[in-house]
Amino acid sequence: MEKIFPRQLVVPTIILMGVVVGLVLYLFYMSRMTSYLTDDPSACVNCHIMAPYYQSWQKSSHQPWTTCNDCHVPQDNFVRGYAFKAKDGLYHAAIFTLRAEPQVIRPRAESYGAIMENCIRCHTQLNTEFVKTGMVKYSQVHDGKARACWDCHREVPHGVISNLAMSPNAIVPLPDSPVPSWLKKMMK
Amino acid sequence: MRKFYEKHKTALLWVLFGGTIVVVFLLGLLASSVTERRAEIATLFNNKRVEISGIEARNQIWGENYPREYETWLKTKEMDFESKHHGNIFQDVLEERPEMVVLWAGYAFSRDYSAPRGHAYAIEDVTNTLRTGAPFTEEENLQPATCWSCKSPDVPRMMAEVGIENFYKEKWSHFGEEIVNPIGCADCHNPDNMNISISRPALAEAFQRMGKDIDNTTIQERRTLACAQCHVEYYFKGDGKYLTFPWDKGTTVEDMEAYYDQAGFSDWTHALSKAPMLKAQHPDYELFMMGPHAKRGLSCADCHMPYKSDGAIKYSDHHLVSPLKYIDRTCLTCHRDSEEQLMNYVYEYQDKILETRDRVEKELVKAHVGAKFAWDSGASEKQMEPVLKLLRAAQWRWDFAVASHGASFHAPVETQRILSHSLDKSYQAQLEVNKVLRDLGITSDYPNPDISTKEKAQQYIGLDMPKLKADKEKFKTTIVPEWLAKARENEKLL
Repeated sequence: MEKIFPRQLVVPTIILMGVVVGLVLYLFYMSRMTSYLTDDPSACVNCHIMAPYYQSWQKSSHQPWTTCNDCHVPQDNFVRGYAFKAKDGLYHAAIFTLRAEPQVIRPRAESYGAIMENCIRCHTQLNTEFVKTGMVKYSQVHDGKARACWDCHREVPHGVISNLAMSPNAIVPLPDSPVPSWLKKMMK
Repeated sequence: MRKFYEKHKTALLWVLFGGTIVVVFLLGLLASSVTERRAEIATLFNNKRVEISGIEARNQIWGENYPREYETWLKTKEMDFESKHHGNIFQDVLEERPEMVVLWAGYAFSRDYSAPRGHAYAIEDVTNTLRTGAPFTEEENLQPATCWSCKSPDVPRMMAEVGIENFYKEKWSHFGEEIVNPIGCADCHNPDNMNISISRPALAEAFQRMGKDIDNTTIQERRTLACAQCHVEYYFKGDGKYLTFPWDKGTTVEDMEAYYDQAGFSDWTHALSKAPMLKAQHPDYELFMMGPHAKRGLSCADCHMPYKSDGAIKYSDHHLVSPLKYIDRTCLTCHRDSEEQLMNYVYEYQDKILETRDRVEKELVKAHVGAKFAWDSGASEKQMEPVLKLLRAAQWRWDFAVASHGASFHAPVETQRILSHSLDKSYQAQLEVNKVLRDLGITSDYPNPDISTKEKAQQYIGLDMPKLKADKEKFKTTIVPEWLAKARENEKLL
């Protein structure tokens, strides 16, 4: 081994690797990475710009029955669900890091598709047996051949007003301080 | 030592690796603690840098305490947006619509009228317009000090100093070295708590006469009333030129006309038709209140100063401009249509209403020219009375709808109604002119003056534009720099 890797570089290399792994762990910790594997809505307010949307859901009729993921992530297939979540999450993280978030957030076309699928999935009996409004796909809406659920149900579930600044004092489970209490005590 | 190292080499390296991880992790925690503490600095109100008391007209001073609001206010200097019909750019309206020159013949507006720019230009624009003339001495003034009323937070400061009535009584140039800061913070805010406060007496007085109490209004109402201090119909009452809102009988176009008729007030006598004219100012507030957005409880600020979040801090954007510039955070907050569609809804309202406006302007000019023709043909005052009445009423309605730049969007149905009455009265005026001409035995058509450009129209009504412009140029290079220098010397301007 010493022939191919100079002995004096072993210690610095190991320290460097430690730094990298430490930083990655720190990033995992700070971004509460593991919370994203769950369906807990509080994971979505890890980033405070989702607070108004969390709050409007929390006060809505959907709150007792659904989590964010029930509507915003495809539920037909485990693999597709996580892939969608990963893609959405990376997109959100990138935009937020660049500080490029718009003042009013709207779903992307793909996201609209997933949402409508989920409306139909839960309300199947209502919209396929009683009325036929659920016998369509979002792609047809996109082409102007059908109506989306929210064309009529406009206030479901986030209300009419949608703006990052719409409820600055909303009480939502924003993440606790990442600084552990023992460290805070020590620094007092 | 060396032996120990050789013996436990692998384990020691693992310890080193693990140790580094722990150290980096702890350093990270420390760093985030530092970040958190620094973020606390961002809470605005608790971290005022300067104490503001009394009427502080210098906007920069407020900017120290409220940098977000101040920086967005600075953007009212931008001249980069043009929608189909309006924007924040410089537009010579008389150049585009020379009929207006004739409609305002005998009044200062026929000299110069351009589209309004942002608040930050208020002082510059009122000083540079030909409407304020070139008063090298107090006697040469065209306008009273009342003309400053809406241009600057220095106005309430001076009113407090000399008294409201005495302020209006002076000539415009009297306060040249005092009124130097453009519309800004103190016009709408109380520095103690930053609440919206009404700094202009005219609005409070008008409310009082209507039996309402301006102090007893909700925050949402104040987000409109702050604008209603200036964006309203007003006139200068009596010899004291006391700024007054004609709302005693109500705030519709007919209510205010009835007020003026009863008071026997006219802004000027038309140079061609000799009609006792009314100049509508900019009844933005009155018209907005009759539109669909106000009826649903919105305020001016909801669309013209939309809330904005900077990180986790919420504030109002003080970049007052057409909401069409930022549809993505104005209309979209409530409306689910695409930006393009929303823009087109607005354009549809504007296009259809401006279609009627274009017709009114043509017919109203004909009526004025016809009236002049009748006078020139020897008509008597008695004969002309119905014509003049109709001209006054027709043009008041036209001006009411046009001077309020946002009217066709703010209250489309009302604006269309007002303009259609204006068109009706313009034709009625022509019919009356024709009767007079018939009685005088004249069968020839009205003259058809060439008013295809601003210059031709101004020449037709007999304005000596080169002289007016030359005087203004001289005024701008001699008097205005003196004003500014004195204001700087006295620290009225930073």
